[in-house]
Amino acid sequence: MKRFPSARSVLLACAAAGVIAMAIPVDDSSSSNHHAQSLRGAVATMGQIQDTVANNNATGNRTPVAPAKPRPNQAVPTPPRTNPVQPGTNNSAKPPGTSTPQQSNPSGTATPAPGNQPPAAGQATPAGPESWGYTRKTSKLRIHVIDGRTKQPLEGAEVVVIETEQRFRTDKNGDTPWFDAPIFRNPKYRPMVAELHGQLGVIAYKNGYRDSIHLGIRMHENIRQEATVWMYKIGPGDRRIEPVLYQEPYHHLWLIQLADKFRQQSQIGEGPERP
Amino acid sequence: MKTLRRRTKVAAIGFMLAMPGVIAAPNVEAAQTIYNTSMPSVMRVAIRENNASGEPDPRGRIIYVQAVPFVTYCEDVLPNEWFPSWRPEALKAGAMAVKMFAWYHHLHPVTIDGFTFDVDNTTNFQHFQDLSSQPTTNAAFAAIQNVAYTRPNGEIIELNYSAGYQNDPNWQYRNAQKMAQWGTEYWAERGQNYVQILQFYYQNRALMKLQS
Repeated sequence: MKRFPSARSVLLACAAAGVIAMAIPVDDSSSSNHHAQSLRGAVATMGQIQDTVANNNATGNRTPVAPAKPRPNQAVPTPPRTNPVQPGTNNSAKPPGTSTPQQSNPSGTATPAPGNQPPAAGQATPAGPESWGYTRKTSKLRIHVIDGRTKQPLEGAEVVVIETEQRFRTDKNGDTPWFDAPIFRNPKYRPMVAELHGQLGVIAYKNGYRDSIHLGIRMHENIRQEATVWMYKIGPGDRRIEPVLYQEPYHHLWLIQLADKFRQQSQIGEGPERP
Repeated sequence: MKTLRRRTKVAAIGFMLAMPGVIAAPNVEAAQTIYNTSMPSVMRVAIRENNASGEPDPRGRIIYVQAVPFVTYCEDVLPNEWFPSWRPEALKAGAMAVKMFAWYHHLHPVTIDGFTFDVDNTTNFQHFQDLSSQPTTNAAFAAIQNVAYTRPNGEIIELNYSAGYQNDPNWQYRNAQKMAQWGTEYWAERGQNYVQILQFYYQNRALMKLQS
């Protein structure tokens, strides 16, 4: 009885598999996948943004940043991206009373220029596709810190932007200086519904108060925005002292669009938006 | 003959007794106008309990009633109803709707579960979030602070609005005498000012200057 596969066919199959395996390129620099290549420097590019913003937040101006390249030599020492705040010695967090929040806008009023305008001159191309969350868009933001019970402004609270690790201190009005904050749009919603605002998170620290984590600050292009962080004093009756979370919701206009987008004719629920 | 006279008398008396039911008394209630009412100084905002996600529940229990200065109330509603990044004229149209809606409901308070209030903090009325004002929306509200949008005789009416559809003039909202929020941005993008936007959605209304 003739058996299948025969020894000859097994040998032939092994030889073919070897040829195919040798044909696979191992040097990714010669690969034609430019999309994957463009993402290689993405993290380093974001790091460059952090440095630039942190160094220029005093004036509120950003300098053009060249696209970062993969570090060729890891042995070369590089300055840390952010330094821990030392009172009176740091360059990103300011001591109370010396901040000049209106420096870049002497009138103190908002100068809205809404609309989908192109990014400001000098903003380089992001390292990855914008739909994946890579962005160089920034907008002016100021954080206002208050006591959650008395609603009085808190001076000297330290505010950290989670995404960029920028650190600021609040002045006697409870405000941080205006600073450039990135506009991150959640990439998972991008293919479904164009997200109408980005989101950002901050943490506020102050001695004697619970840490406050404020997530989902709405970020729009081309306008100035403010967000208020509520902090709660630690009292003698407090056990298990843990951070307080405040999650800012999506704008309800966006939620209406999202629900309408996926509504089926056979299951209309509350029905489409109507007058 | 006597019987006829008696019947006539009875009919006359019956007619006089029935008159009040047939001819109603004239309505003497005066309309609430910008001339006989002043802009509210404080709004009574019912705070409803949050749902499990921490958002105010439109059908939740009323926890308490918060007194909020009128201007602060409008400034803390506008960025939650309109996008702060929209064009200034769209924001001004929104500011006017928010203001006149609040003014109307201040004149028509309700009592639910023992709480008397003007509005609540959910989309039952307008989405109010304490300390959420933004510079752009504040500027829009300041721009329309000295004017009101009423009936031509100054009567204060509710300016209703709803989301509408993006990139669309939302004609069906005009037919319903409601303003489409997306429609304000649509028209502002095409160069219309806030009065033109209001005129498009609300008919038989007039822009009135408030007496200082």
